[in-house]
Amino acid sequence: MNLRLLHRRLAVAMGLTGLIAFAGGAGFEPISASLAALALLTALFWHPDPVLSVRMERVFLPIAALLLTRALFVFLSAGDVVIPVVDLLLLLLTAEALRSLDAPNDVRLYALSFALILASTAYRPGIVFLIGFVAYIGFSTLALMVGHLRREAESHGIREVPLGRPLVLTMGGLAGVILMVAFVVFVAFPRVSQGWAGRGETLATSIAGFSDQVSLGQFGSTILGNPQIVLRVEFPDGLPEDVASLHWRGRSYDRFDGIRWMRSRSLPPSALPRFYRDRWDSPLIEQKIFAAPLDVRVLFALHPVIDIEADNGIQPLFDNAGDHLYWGSSAPVYTALSRAQPPAADSLRSAEGYTPRARHFTQQPNDLDPHIAALADSLTAGIDNRYDQVVAIQRYLQSFEYTRELPATARETSLDHFLFERQAGHCEYFSTALAVMLRTLGIQTRNVNGFLGGEWSEFGDYLVVTQNAAHSWVEVWFAGYGWVMFDPTPAGTGSGEQLTSWFWPGRLLFDGLQHRWSKWVLDYTVEDQTGIFARWSEMFGSRTREITDGSTEDSGRRPLGGALLLLLLGVGILWARRGGRAITPATRAYLQLREACVRAGVGVTPGLTPLALVKLVQERRVAAGRATERIVDLYLRARYGQETLGESELREMSEALGLARKTLRAKP
Amino acid sequence: MSRAPDGRAARSRRSAIDLIVAVLRWMHAVWLRLRAWRRISFTAGGLIFTLGAFAVGFAAMNTGNNLLYLLLGTMLGFITVSSWLSEQAIRGLRFERRQPRVITVGQPMRLTYRVRNLKKWLPSLAVEIIEQGLPERAFLSHVKANGSAEAQSTNSFVRRGIYPLGTVTLSTSFPFGMFLKQRDVQIPGEVVVWPRTDRLVRAPTPGGGRVPRLGISSRGSAGTTGEYRSLRAYRVGDDPRDIHWRSSARLREPVIREYERDGAETRWICLDTRSEPTDAAEVAVEVAASLAARAIRETRPVALVVGDVVIEPGEGPGQLERILDLLARVDFSPSSRAPAPPLDPASCILVCVEGGSGYGDVLAVGTDATLDIEEAA
Repeated sequence: MNLRLLHRRLAVAMGLTGLIAFAGGAGFEPISASLAALALLTALFWHPDPVLSVRMERVFLPIAALLLTRALFVFLSAGDVVIPVVDLLLLLLTAEALRSLDAPNDVRLYALSFALILASTAYRPGIVFLIGFVAYIGFSTLALMVGHLRREAESHGIREVPLGRPLVLTMGGLAGVILMVAFVVFVAFPRVSQGWAGRGETLATSIAGFSDQVSLGQFGSTILGNPQIVLRVEFPDGLPEDVASLHWRGRSYDRFDGIRWMRSRSLPPSALPRFYRDRWDSPLIEQKIFAAPLDVRVLFALHPVIDIEADNGIQPLFDNAGDHLYWGSSAPVYTALSRAQPPAADSLRSAEGYTPRARHFTQQPNDLDPHIAALADSLTAGIDNRYDQVVAIQRYLQSFEYTRELPATARETSLDHFLFERQAGHCEYFSTALAVMLRTLGIQTRNVNGFLGGEWSEFGDYLVVTQNAAHSWVEVWFAGYGWVMFDPTPAGTGSGEQLTSWFWPGRLLFDGLQHRWSKWVLDYTVEDQTGIFARWSEMFGSRTREITDGSTEDSGRRPLGGALLLLLLGVGILWARRGGRAITPATRAYLQLREACVRAGVGVTPGLTPLALVKLVQERRVAAGRATERIVDLYLRARYGQETLGESELREMSEALGLARKTLRAKP
Repeated sequence: MSRAPDGRAARSRRSAIDLIVAVLRWMHAVWLRLRAWRRISFTAGGLIFTLGAFAVGFAAMNTGNNLLYLLLGTMLGFITVSSWLSEQAIRGLRFERRQPRVITVGQPMRLTYRVRNLKKWLPSLAVEIIEQGLPERAFLSHVKANGSAEAQSTNSFVRRGIYPLGTVTLSTSFPFGMFLKQRDVQIPGEVVVWPRTDRLVRAPTPGGGRVPRLGISSRGSAGTTGEYRSLRAYRVGDDPRDIHWRSSARLREPVIREYERDGAETRWICLDTRSEPTDAAEVAVEVAASLAARAIRETRPVALVVGDVVIEPGEGPGQLERILDLLARVDFSPSSRAPAPPLDPASCILVCVEGGSGYGDVLAVGTDATLDIEEAA
């Protein structure tokens, strides 16, 4: 393969990998991307002759003009200009890739593929970007090298430069070096501003799973599973024992019309997080949550949340419904602190204190079947405390059957049909039944939507929560303790059930990679940086020890870097003092004499011979003539006469040089 | 009393100035050594790339976009690898230069560089070899590790003279064409450039002459034809057929038979160098060289006198070489000495710029003569 063809293929490969990198998370029009990919693949194997290439340009130019006009129009109308610009880029890349081999378009190909990579950085691309990026670096290293060799060979009239496999492998290895330098710079370069959220991940279309409403009206089919990952949760303090019972609270609803749960517009303020911090005494559990952007801007966490801190550009909010929301456009990353366990049963039995008087949380639908209230009464007969009443009804419901199959007809979707006839359903029926029955007893409840449980990813070291785990449960108000969670859905069903397939383990692995990518690259912050440096300094730097009075003292080794610096400085000084080995002292002295003559304006020309120099100096600077003659004489003897000058002669030469310089500097 | 403090102050001022000058000189020497050791400069592409890296870095710091930091690191990685590889391309190379001892003005001179790559693993690619003062460069496309290769450059000279060859610069922008790295190597040498011998010159009159001097035959000069005269040591350019093998074996060095030539045939050329070193002077040198070459072609003995220097009559290519060697080195100056031929100037041909008298023939080129080929006056 000749250099020109090889270079063109490598440059096209740069374009392809740039396209892959861009496609790995950025939005683009599939048609233009597919066409571009097809054209680039074609360009790997086929090139038009110069005549055909010119004809093809006449086709591409009008299309490019059209796309440019479109981009300008979108820009002027304040629309999203990125996609039209990317379409134009792709067209130009295609056009350049499909030119004849003679066309000197290397730089344009490089620039266009680099522009694609640059455009990718405006998004939050996934792990596919990384794969494309690494491949891009490899191809661009080779392409730049081969391109350079080709140009040099052509400019010197050489037909071929032998490129052996070892050289290609070496350059491939050097691409690895480039990536390592990129890694070091990425980790070490100081982050001086807040991270830019980027354009955000492209929002997934809404699929069955968590949604912002609870409705009992669906019938006639089965609820499909959805393995889309919505939460990735890290536990800095260690994984809790019972993962399956972790309830990731999302949204709450207070109003039920018989079919649908809703939120009232004017709710009184809910208990604040500090209420739970002060009243609940169970241990705290820290969760670092990487959430996928959903249609609803909810911050999921274990209830009750004591504190939420955003780790990227979002702004956490707390609304009157007691829900944690956020403001911002990027996928939320946050750390939540929650109480691990509810108050003990005995504490709840003897709960006293404030109870919300508003009727929102005891509201019942107008046409509620009276049998439901009767059932609630019968289940709680003889029980005089709220807690036991809740537990009694919960236990009763947990004896029903869980199924994802929806009722066959609309008539069968009602709550009373669930309670008295079918006695089987999904989580929304169970939570609705519990909430409504408790309300008939005058107990304040609200229905809550969220996720239940998750699956531990060993590779990623985090809990994976998918849309499959969408769940509903109930919160009951206990005076002095706030809202306490109860889950009437039969245990062990629906929560940990993953509709996995044969590729699920691979998908977990991929997601783990994706998560690490997001965490350590896209969301790498100055805090992460300082953490890394702190760990490195522990390894190489000073130790601290605590003295008795509580202060610390730096007791340890000096940083390795300081010693390295001193060593480098020493080597540099030694090198600077080392004489040049190529020039002999006599030649050096002669050259210095020539320099002095040049500076004195004697009129030294490049081809001036040593003897001619002497003559010139004798004519124009008489005072320096004798010293110059002596220097030249010794020089000629050393250089052409093959004599080795002794120390005294070298000293004489040095003195003559000094004298010559002095007299040359003096005015003639 | 009042003078001593002033004297001391002046001395201390002078020694401070001397110290500063010495330090500056040392820094300059270090700088020159650094420059000779390595020089780095941007190519156009490298400048754009580096500015682009700055722009990306600025954008990264401004926006905090981590992917831009990644891109910045990659660009810095390219710069680092480029710097390291270009260094590897020009280090570990041992050079030998082969050049012709002499060439003639206008003729191409081929310089051959034999390069040995002393590196164990890495080849050297795309290295230009630049001879200081010469426009054309040699190009080494590829020297494998532990291997050798040759590269050539072809230059020509427009003026005769002695051209010292010294500094050879190795230059490369391998691997990416971003930065030009250069290193100097000292390989002393020189090239003697003879004047042209194809200038059209009219036939001189008369040109012959006897040399009535002790030690030189009054009948004529030594030559390669005629009656046997003597044996002498072999000189470069002598006809090998004239080697006297028996005597050479006895004396353990080649000797040749020398023959008597008719003295009237010997052409004595006297070059008058008493003028400014202008184009006209060069033309005069070419005229002298052309006359000598014509005499050699006519198998006529020829001698040359420049100032006090006399090249005794001789013939053959060796004689022409000696004459051209001298002509390559002559310098013109108004204070030069007049030619002093060892015989009657009336038997000699004077080649000069402005004119002369007392010679058998005078070829004056004129002060407005140029180096274009044309018939001399």
